[in-house]
Amino acid sequence: MSQNRPNEPQPPARVQHSMYAQGKIFQSTTPLPISTVPEQFVRADLEFIDVDHAGPSFEARVFVNNPGANISTPPMESYGFAGCFNVFGHGGCFGDAGHCEIHGRHEDNFDPRPSHPLIPMKKVVIATSAIRKALNERADIHVTVVPIIKSWTEKSDVNDILRFDHINLITYR
Amino acid sequence: MASLTVRKNVESLTPPELQALREALLRMQSIWDNRGYNHFGSLHGIPNWYCNHHDRSIRTRQNLRLFLPWHRAYLLYFEKALRDQAGPDPKIGLPWWDWTSPTSHTIGVPTAFAEPAIDGRFNPLLQAAIYAPAANPPIWRWTRRFPGDPRWLPSGALVDSLLNLSQFRDFSIQLEDVHDYVHGWAGGNNGSVGGDMGNLGTAAWDPLFWSHHCTIDRIWYMWQLRQGVNNISPELLPVVLQPFSLTVEDVLNINALGYEYAISKVAIR
Repeated sequence: MSQNRPNEPQPPARVQHSMYAQGKIFQSTTPLPISTVPEQFVRADLEFIDVDHAGPSFEARVFVNNPGANISTPPMESYGFAGCFNVFGHGGCFGDAGHCEIHGRHEDNFDPRPSHPLIPMKKVVIATSAIRKALNERADIHVTVVPIIKSWTEKSDVNDILRFDHINLITYR
Repeated sequence: MASLTVRKNVESLTPPELQALREALLRMQSIWDNRGYNHFGSLHGIPNWYCNHHDRSIRTRQNLRLFLPWHRAYLLYFEKALRDQAGPDPKIGLPWWDWTSPTSHTIGVPTAFAEPAIDGRFNPLLQAAIYAPAANPPIWRWTRRFPGDPRWLPSGALVDSLLNLSQFRDFSIQLEDVHDYVHGWAGGNNGSVGGDMGNLGTAAWDPLFWSHHCTIDRIWYMWQLRQGVNNISPELLPVVLQPFSLTVEDVLNINALGYEYAISKVAIR
């Protein structure tokens, strides 16, 4: 290295605090009939299956039976807030063409390499109180997820950041 | 015989301890080979992508949760490289950032990591240079950080609730989520671009990364004390934590790795 540092570091600009923007909200299309939820449980989880994490970092606030929830809705039980999950995003692709395309190496038993880092993940929100409240009110379960974008790079697509396959409701006794 | 390295709360470091840490880190940041800071930053994300988060599978379709063991090995190797630069009395250990503390909930990022300069000299805990010529486009700049409102940092009560989870997989998923939150909080954005802590590809270049992960490691250690040191899925034990020459089984006992988080030890007879 002919030089051991890039140009002089700039003192960090003092923004008061980071400002967060809201991403595209998810609304479940078919309410889960409350009759399918066991009467007795000690814990209820909402499992988000195959969550994408290739882009920005964001917080996903999960609301039960509050279809109007948005970034301004207080994350409180009285507003149907069930909990949140957080995505530490890769920030977009900084490799060459094809670098972030997920391929099937995990399906080959003779491939010793770890699976692709961008294989979608599972997130689990412990939502016991919110599910019990719905049960007590005999209300079918409708899930709203509000993504709040925290951080991104010039390679991130900040549109439509919240992507997952489906949600499981799991109860434990 | 070498004694255990004590990892301390950054808020409790004495001025000489903080000075020794800064000097070692500064030396490490000026080395560009595989002993240096840039090398370690490049292992986590851009361009090597060795880190393990969430479920990953190796060879089979089973999901392996290597987030906690992999980062324990990563911190250990980084700490060894840091101590190599600490002079003849290398008693420094990685400090941990207690983001649940009243101080953190008031000021956010600890003062040690936020001061632009110390006695007119560059503060190597504030920023580091990212040199990633293999990235597309190549990266050659200083790290940036735009932390959020300190009141929104995770609470001690949340951490306490995690310590009561009895299954490793359950605990790991929930702790990783808190970890993800703090990354987003610390990286943040300035309205046009995000901070490095909030992007996996460059997060490990921010000096705050190491103390954040030290806290995650300490929480896992406290959970192990309560729920069992060997409380982990047996199929994980032989998995090698690439690129480090350690398996999951090797990293379960932190004392066997040569460090501890205890701040005092008094014999009672």
